[in-house]
Amino acid sequence: MNWNEVIGSSALVPLFSSGVALAVPTATAAVGECFSERAGNLNLGVEGMMLSGAFAGFIGTYYTHSVAVGVLCGIGAGVLLGILMAGLSVWLKTEQVINGIALVLFAQGLTAFVYGKLFSTSSTPTISTPANLHIPLLADIPVIGPVLFKQNSLFYIAVAAMLGVIFVLYRTRFGLSVRATGEDPAAADAAAISVDRVRWIALLVGGATAGLGGAVLVVGQLGIIQTNVTAGAGWIAVALVIFGRWNPVYVILGAFLFGTTDALQLRIQAASGGVTSGFPYEFFQALPYLVTLAVMVAVAIGARRTAQPAALGAPFRKEVAG
Amino acid sequence: MAVAVSEVAVSRRPVWGKRARATINSLVAIILALLVGAIFISIAGASPLPAYRSLVSGSVGSEFAIGQTLIQAVPLLVIGLGLALAFRARVYNIGADGQFYLGALAAGAVAIGLPGTFGPLLIVISLIAGALAGGFWGWIVGFLRARWAVNVVISSLLLSYIATYIFTYVIRRPLRDSTASGLLGKGIPDAAQLPLVSGFGVHIGLFIALLLVPIVGYVMTRTPFGFRVRMLGMNPDAAQTTGVNSGRLIIVLMVISGGLAGLAGAIQLAGVADRLDPTLSNGYGFTAIVVALLGRLSATGVLLAALFLGALNAGGQAMSINDDVPYAVVLAIQGVFVIFLLVADRLARGR
Repeated sequence: MNWNEVIGSSALVPLFSSGVALAVPTATAAVGECFSERAGNLNLGVEGMMLSGAFAGFIGTYYTHSVAVGVLCGIGAGVLLGILMAGLSVWLKTEQVINGIALVLFAQGLTAFVYGKLFSTSSTPTISTPANLHIPLLADIPVIGPVLFKQNSLFYIAVAAMLGVIFVLYRTRFGLSVRATGEDPAAADAAAISVDRVRWIALLVGGATAGLGGAVLVVGQLGIIQTNVTAGAGWIAVALVIFGRWNPVYVILGAFLFGTTDALQLRIQAASGGVTSGFPYEFFQALPYLVTLAVMVAVAIGARRTAQPAALGAPFRKEVAG
Repeated sequence: MAVAVSEVAVSRRPVWGKRARATINSLVAIILALLVGAIFISIAGASPLPAYRSLVSGSVGSEFAIGQTLIQAVPLLVIGLGLALAFRARVYNIGADGQFYLGALAAGAVAIGLPGTFGPLLIVISLIAGALAGGFWGWIVGFLRARWAVNVVISSLLLSYIATYIFTYVIRRPLRDSTASGLLGKGIPDAAQLPLVSGFGVHIGLFIALLLVPIVGYVMTRTPFGFRVRMLGMNPDAAQTTGVNSGRLIIVLMVISGGLAGLAGAIQLAGVADRLDPTLSNGYGFTAIVVALLGRLSATGVLLAALFLGALNAGGQAMSINDDVPYAVVLAIQGVFVIFLLVADRLARGR
């Protein structure tokens, strides 16, 4: 086990660079989840949305050889599940925790079926991931350059999507409606905001970003597909929202912590020499989940008052006179 | 359309009890999901009717098939009972798969580590070890929730991943079967294996599972504890006001549901796999969520749902062999179930 390969001085820039890259799919989904939760939707189906986005993205790119088509397919799949989620949570108003779990099981079953149908017999299907860009000037800045400005096109699409969501949430009238709806739906309703409509749109946005996140993971980074390829990234996205205290900027920072841990464990696994090694690399594989949990607990301990939107998870029923 | 009809029939006729209504909704969801399943089978390039015929014959068509169904149903039943109890209090433990693996791991470690002189007692000790390990993993979730309000759904799932990595490490290093070519854990001694019931080829874990049904059912419906559980699920504030210690109750429910998942893992190890196999679970921890919901969180409902989904698992294997339909179609059907169940319930009650 050569630790110099893992955290030596020459390894740090590649570590952070892949940490940022690995953070982005989860961060994208988490920012979208933050947006839907700020509107009062507890969407626990993120894992299912990401997984579907990953599959649709892979299939799109696999058959058309176009990254753009893959990304659009991924977003489309996420939006479709967003519609399903909104149908259950906003229209039918069934219990949101169950809706989320149901959505994940649904997506896992469906994607496993698609995998079995399309790919199980062929040898591992692959697509080529887009090459890293080299942004003029910025990429030459030491440390920050290679970490932030030598990523591939999907990385920047995802970053743009995150910034767009944050902008809408804090700088537009609709974003204000979203936040009002999550805090006090009755007051929002009194101010002539259609609570259900806002929540519908917020879930579609959440679905689109989660689908995009899944597509970025598979089309932009892995280049392969397998059943449950997202491996809990969607659940981590939900956890990130909690530990970012519903503030998308903190959510992104949390995602970076998670991504770096993930990059670290991948390096440790590679440096440890694989299955024959005596080194217990499995504990490092578990590290991203453990760190997420630990930080979630730490935030819960440290929190004096909750930052959770007051109406989170509660369906809104309009009081009608007579 | 079928849903709309049942809506009228059910909501206008108070003679029909709540339970009958729930059963009808479950049946409607099952039928709709099987119809969607037929579409999936067609997409997979097979004809639905012969495929469903092999599904039926592969699950109830022979003694062997029934045995396969029962073998699949045992872990679903044991885990599903614990989940149903916890879900009644809205304690949504979705990390049963990890609790299952830790239970199997503890049971296996005990069975391999202790000398064979314990005889049949070895089985009992290893099953208890499995339940304790799963219960401990559940306890962590409950403790974090009770002490610092950490979300149960997320922490139970994150801990589930951690548990499976612990399992993988142990069977790769200390308890690895070095004679096997792939990654396999050691076998457990004969003394620790569950004996088979003659005829169907089912291990006696089936009776443990069946014995749990009336016990859990009694606890749910006839004890003050079961009452407090329901009260916590329906109105946590009211429960707190009437003196229910909700934190302690959540911990107890997580220990019970984790413990039963761990017990299921230990039973699966001792009755079916006979070795620490990384594919021990077949997703039982997640399918058991479907079992609990489809069974309407009641003990008998869970029994029926476990038998049904066990049959679907067993028949799905036959279908994938005979008709070249990917086994995962079973997973897709399960996923569709839950969605339809939610919709059917809601529409029947009126939006």
